[in-house]
Amino acid sequence: MTGSSVARFFKPVASLRLTIICLACAMFLVFVGTLDQVQIGVYEAQLRYFKSFFLYFNLPGSNFRIPYFPGGYTLGGVLLINLIAAHVSRFKLTWKKAGILILHSGLILLLIGQIVTSLFEEESQIQLDQGQTKNYSESPYFDELAIVDQSKPDSDEVISVPAGRLVKGQTISLPVAGLQLQVDESFENAALINPNQLPSPTYPHLRLGPMAVAVAIPKTYKQDERNQPAAAVTLLKEGQSVGSWALASGFPQPVQFKVGADPYQIVLRPKRYYRPFSITLEDFRHDRYAGTEIAKNFSSKVRLVDPSAHENREALIYMNHPLWYSDLILYQAGFGNNDKTTVLQVMKNPSRLVPYIACGMMALGLLIQFGMHLVSFVRKRVIA
Amino acid sequence: MKRIVPWIIFIVFAGWALSRMAPKKPGSAFDIAGFGKLPVLAGGRVKPMDTLARVSLLQMNHHGIDGTANNLSSAQVASQAEWLLDVLMLPEHADSTKIFEITDPNILDLFGWQKAANYSFNDLQPFFAKIEEQAGLAAQTEADARNAFQRNIVRLRDVLRFYVQLKNTIQPQDSPDFGKEVQVFQQSIQPGLDAVRNRDAGQPYDDQAFQRIILFTHRYQSWTQAKYAYAIPNPKGKTETDRWSPVSEALLNALSTGQIADSVTFYGRMVSAYRNGDATGFNQALNDYQQYLHKNFSEELNRPTLEYFFNAAQPFYQSLVLYLVVFALAIISWLAWPKTLSRAALLLLGFAFLVHTAGLIIRMYIQGRPPVTNLYSSAIFVGWATVLFCLILERFYKNGIGGVCGSVIGFTTLLIAQNLQFDGDTMEMLRAVLDTNAWLATHVVGEVLGYSAVFLAGLIGIIYIFRGVFTTSFEESTSKTMARMIYGVVCFATLLSLVATVLGGIWADQSWGRFWGWDPKENGALLVVLWNAIILHARWGGFARERGVAVLAVFGNVIGSLSWFGVNMLGVGLHSYGFMDQAFASTLAIFVASQLVIIGIGLLPLKYWRGIRARERRTPQAGGVPAHALPQ
Repeated sequence: MTGSSVARFFKPVASLRLTIICLACAMFLVFVGTLDQVQIGVYEAQLRYFKSFFLYFNLPGSNFRIPYFPGGYTLGGVLLINLIAAHVSRFKLTWKKAGILILHSGLILLLIGQIVTSLFEEESQIQLDQGQTKNYSESPYFDELAIVDQSKPDSDEVISVPAGRLVKGQTISLPVAGLQLQVDESFENAALINPNQLPSPTYPHLRLGPMAVAVAIPKTYKQDERNQPAAAVTLLKEGQSVGSWALASGFPQPVQFKVGADPYQIVLRPKRYYRPFSITLEDFRHDRYAGTEIAKNFSSKVRLVDPSAHENREALIYMNHPLWYSDLILYQAGFGNNDKTTVLQVMKNPSRLVPYIACGMMALGLLIQFGMHLVSFVRKRVIA
Repeated sequence: MKRIVPWIIFIVFAGWALSRMAPKKPGSAFDIAGFGKLPVLAGGRVKPMDTLARVSLLQMNHHGIDGTANNLSSAQVASQAEWLLDVLMLPEHADSTKIFEITDPNILDLFGWQKAANYSFNDLQPFFAKIEEQAGLAAQTEADARNAFQRNIVRLRDVLRFYVQLKNTIQPQDSPDFGKEVQVFQQSIQPGLDAVRNRDAGQPYDDQAFQRIILFTHRYQSWTQAKYAYAIPNPKGKTETDRWSPVSEALLNALSTGQIADSVTFYGRMVSAYRNGDATGFNQALNDYQQYLHKNFSEELNRPTLEYFFNAAQPFYQSLVLYLVVFALAIISWLAWPKTLSRAALLLLGFAFLVHTAGLIIRMYIQGRPPVTNLYSSAIFVGWATVLFCLILERFYKNGIGGVCGSVIGFTTLLIAQNLQFDGDTMEMLRAVLDTNAWLATHVVGEVLGYSAVFLAGLIGIIYIFRGVFTTSFEESTSKTMARMIYGVVCFATLLSLVATVLGGIWADQSWGRFWGWDPKENGALLVVLWNAIILHARWGGFARERGVAVLAVFGNVIGSLSWFGVNMLGVGLHSYGFMDQAFASTLAIFVASQLVIIGIGLLPLKYWRGIRARERRTPQAGGVPAHALPQ
């Protein structure tokens, strides 16, 4: 293809009109999504509006979903293609265009970086009491049903089933020969109450123990609450029942059982990410301004032990001062339990540095572009 | 002569403003000004008593001490500091001052009252049980879900509790003569401690001295519950928390040191003299205390003293009034004496800007922070930056538009700031995540500068539309110049808001672990960036020309106001330190509606534009105006 035919091919995709339409749609999407955050919370709105291909309208009384507006991925993708096409078709390397070029290259990088982030980012939390040690972090949103094989002497084997797959009536094959999991009941969010608080003995519930039953409650979208699923499951080995349990992630106490002679545990709990290192909370501080309750600083003094890397050291994590370790970053995120418990946010984001570079480029591009405008403007004015 | 007139107008108004900035001489024989400058730690920072008085009164009502409600003539109305002096030292007098504003009809009904007005502590006393009961009920509802009555009754209870705390700052409120009490306590410490020691060792002891020291200890221990403000400085303290203590704790400390802190003794003398109406004694004790502070505490006196004068001068209020005068001069200049008055307006705008700047710098010094730390200061800074932009525009274009825009936005933003003082200290301490001057100075300032440019572009857009539709003075050169101004300002807005938003992302990455979290405030900033990008691309693509850009810029006002205030009303997300009451929602809605009406006017077909019709008549050509001369 010659240069002009490339341009012709790209023309509709590269049009400025498309850019403006996309930007306007993006504004509408952001506006509506932000308003809806009041109802469904920041996280759920992110999934529905920004990290989605379409906004859907659910036909009442059915599972039929009608897409009615492009979501964040679609708009971002179209903008990205539009931007790249525009540069390919109108590319001219001149000083006059240098600012625009750098600016838009930065923007392309930023968009790609954010797509990579939303695909590969992993967010979890470590909650530690004073003196406690953990070698795993937990998801703030998702739960898992874990079946732990404790028959090996030096390590446990964990089979994890995401709580989202626990749908009533389903049978799930487990990656161990002959084991199957049958879901007898499932609540997306459950409250734990005393059995005598039940409105009637026949009210649907899951009996967790003599003092506690789980009842279904509506899903929560509040910022400071999480959904705590509950489920009743039966474990089958070659079609024969091994045992049935009622489990609730609000009460993540493992239940012991045996398959043949091998000891096992089953538990419904926040999804865990095991780490090759452990973290111990040595001291948590919550400083306030003198005579007030306004937080001046939160800080966690932790000990980091990683036998595989021969690391054993103390670190101080506080606001605006995270701990970087291997491919993770640990932030001070919260606290509780009368300032005796700390919550550390654990982030894994392979494209974390991309925004920094992209932003530098965008700022530079804008400065060059508008700087040139300004200089020529002032010069004209001075002459006039 | 003609060249002098603008200067005369300027000097008259500037002099008038300056004269209003000097601290007022109180009519009292007591040295109220001296008392107003005394340092006290409250809300986490050392401030002068004068600020404590103003901030406390703001929690109780909107207008300070209302003369008519208290049957006082305007000369008799106490200054805020005088009122605080009463609260601290003569509470039985302060209790009858009508300061608690009650306007909620349901609360008035509860008390069997009709009139929305200010009431005194004594007026409310019979209803304390009722208030506690109702507020206790209301508090069981989550704060967000409370209705107006529930919010107001909880607020009334909290304000009354706060008032009681305040009364117990210097002395236990029931002390008949605190100066005397301190003396007696000082004399009882040694005998009392001896008695305790002997009693513990099983030896004979002075029972009276023993009983007395136990009584004092109990009294001061229960008094420690009231500690809103820490009045007693401790020159030996190392950390900020050690350097200040409430009077009660200072007295309890004396049990271990054997010596009551000097500051307590000074305050005791002041209280006794004040209660006896002994102005000379009071002023003497105050003077002794000031000298003591200068000797032992001098480096910490600068800021409170400066703040006292800052409070008295009210530089932002003065510049607000001046901006209004500038606007009036500019409007009159369109009708008469255009050259003289517009010159005077510009001079005065420069002066108002200087006052505004001085206020901003002093605020930054007192707080030790970059200019924007909360919504209040963001409004002050938006105004300041816009006036600066306008002065620069005026320097280049010399067409008076910069002057008008500067005065309008300067006035409006300062008016907004006045209403954003809410109920407290506008220099409050910053929450942990904000405690970083580097990000406050870059991200926050950049964001706010971006808003300034957006609103400036929007206002020039409004002027463009109004002049085009309603006036006949809409020359081609005028409209071209305005379009160019809008474009230039939008370019600035894009640059500032984009860079600032991105910096915000980096800050979020540093402190929350993600670059972008679709938090409402982040989304608001994104909307501003997207809108500016749309304007620029629409212009570059030829989809919007002069008129189009003007109309788009007006819609920028809508986006800017939603991003600045609207998202704060949602009450969601991590930027909770910027949250604000929904009470402003109606004001915001009216503003947005007004902008939409203006956009509607701007979209009227050109045949309805008087300015365009006048232009056509002036250039009678066969085909009317050449197409390229028409704004699209």
